[in-house]
Amino acid sequence: MLSAGDDLISISVDGPRAAQSVARQLRAAADWIDVVAGIDSVVVRFDLAALDREAAGKLIQRASIEAFEENLPPAEHYEIPVTYGGDFGPELMSICEHLQLSKSELIELHTAREYEVDMIGFTPGFAYIGGLDPRLDVPRLQEPRVRVEAGSVGIAGGRTGLYALQGPGGWPLIGRTSFELFRPNSARIFTLQPGAMVRFVDASHQ
Amino acid sequence: MSLRILKAGLQTTIQSRPRVGLRHLGVPASGAADPLSMALANKLVGNPACMAALETTLNGVTLEFREAVSFAITGALAMVRVNGRAIELHCSSRAKRGDVLEVGATTRGARSYVAFAGGLKADAVLGSDSTYLPAAFGGHAGRALKRGDELDLRSATEVSERRTPEQFRPPISSSWMLRAARSCETGQLRDARRLFEKKIRVGNRNDRMGIQLQGETFTTNIEGDMPSVPVFPGIVQCPGDGSLFILSVDAQTTGGYPRVAKVTRADMHILGQLRPGDSLSLIERNDSVAAIELREKHAYWREWLPDIAEVI
Repeated sequence: MLSAGDDLISISVDGPRAAQSVARQLRAAADWIDVVAGIDSVVVRFDLAALDREAAGKLIQRASIEAFEENLPPAEHYEIPVTYGGDFGPELMSICEHLQLSKSELIELHTAREYEVDMIGFTPGFAYIGGLDPRLDVPRLQEPRVRVEAGSVGIAGGRTGLYALQGPGGWPLIGRTSFELFRPNSARIFTLQPGAMVRFVDASHQ
Repeated sequence: MSLRILKAGLQTTIQSRPRVGLRHLGVPASGAADPLSMALANKLVGNPACMAALETTLNGVTLEFREAVSFAITGALAMVRVNGRAIELHCSSRAKRGDVLEVGATTRGARSYVAFAGGLKADAVLGSDSTYLPAAFGGHAGRALKRGDELDLRSATEVSERRTPEQFRPPISSSWMLRAARSCETGQLRDARRLFEKKIRVGNRNDRMGIQLQGETFTTNIEGDMPSVPVFPGIVQCPGDGSLFILSVDAQTTGGYPRVAKVTRADMHILGQLRPGDSLSLIERNDSVAAIELREKHAYWREWLPDIAEVI
């Protein structure tokens, strides 16, 4: 446990799965202002006016232990249709060139696997989806875009990123999905949750 | 229709309380950048502290009242007129149908707050009326106001004239001190002492997402991007170019830059008033002193604002 600020406590964990598990336990254990999982850490914001750091630390310690004994519900599986390239994937051709792949080879590699959602974050509902084929490793854009459309699909640093809502973003874009990622009036506002399994399918083949 | 926007200004939005408990879904706080000033404006017209109000940026707003209502303006120092006649900040007034309110450019501070008795109607999304611009939800169609926009009030009411007592008018400066605690990567900063000693200038990149600092650059021992880590409003990041960046109310929920400080909860409301060119010093506070100072600040303000813990 490490202080991240006057009302923030950071907990180091092994990886995305452990981070999500610890975060879930913490949310169930007490009334925090926010509990946010990163890739290898979880940060808790506590109510500094009502709770002191020592008491917060004790609650966290207990919840972190329980996280290791958590029984996970079975993973949800989703198929996400993607329209690759064109206006929806403005970087697709430059990525193909950079990786020396044809457009159909890139699509084949991207649709070949089932991936796990590692984390939701950055902007509302943005999904970090791990496990990309190493042949698809590209860097982020030098200059982030001020506005990326909802449903955009980007790849960078070994992950696929899915934009649930419009917003700023720095991932090179390869396509867009019409899959409903944001449901503002349902109990679960963002369809994808950490731990969900997703498979991308080429929408032009449907 | 209760109000019509005649001149929208640089960025005028409807703001209310922050969104909490949703950062793990990537949903930022949003809400007033200077919630203390918003609460003071609401207080003057008899509203709860976080009732939806207008937040203007640097050059104000001009609007026409389409029905009679009490209103009040707080926040940055600015000239305010009704039908061309100057009125005071921190003082509620009654407007008649057809009156024109002009909130001028700020001379000190960055944001003015205009509250209306009964409160503005707004789109409530994810538990708050606040506008979140990047994803375009909340407030008025999720966007900054434009000329010609028509706004409604929940229930226009008139209240007796009220003024903020002198001791409860937050000073608006051009030279700020912000109390800040160490964060996870402060220890990785080369020459960390300089962070809490030097005066730093507020840069031109300054919006509801965050505030860039200029004039002093810093380096850390961390090379390249870190794996995504959770971030919060108040976190001071040190990106690769060395210019510190203070995250504000609309900040993203995770980031890849070292976190080298965090503005204490007690002083977060000040971020909304920093303007490009202002000077800023970060004053180091350890976590236990920060907790005591927060309670002291709450105790001081509670006398005028009973709901101060919702605000600061």
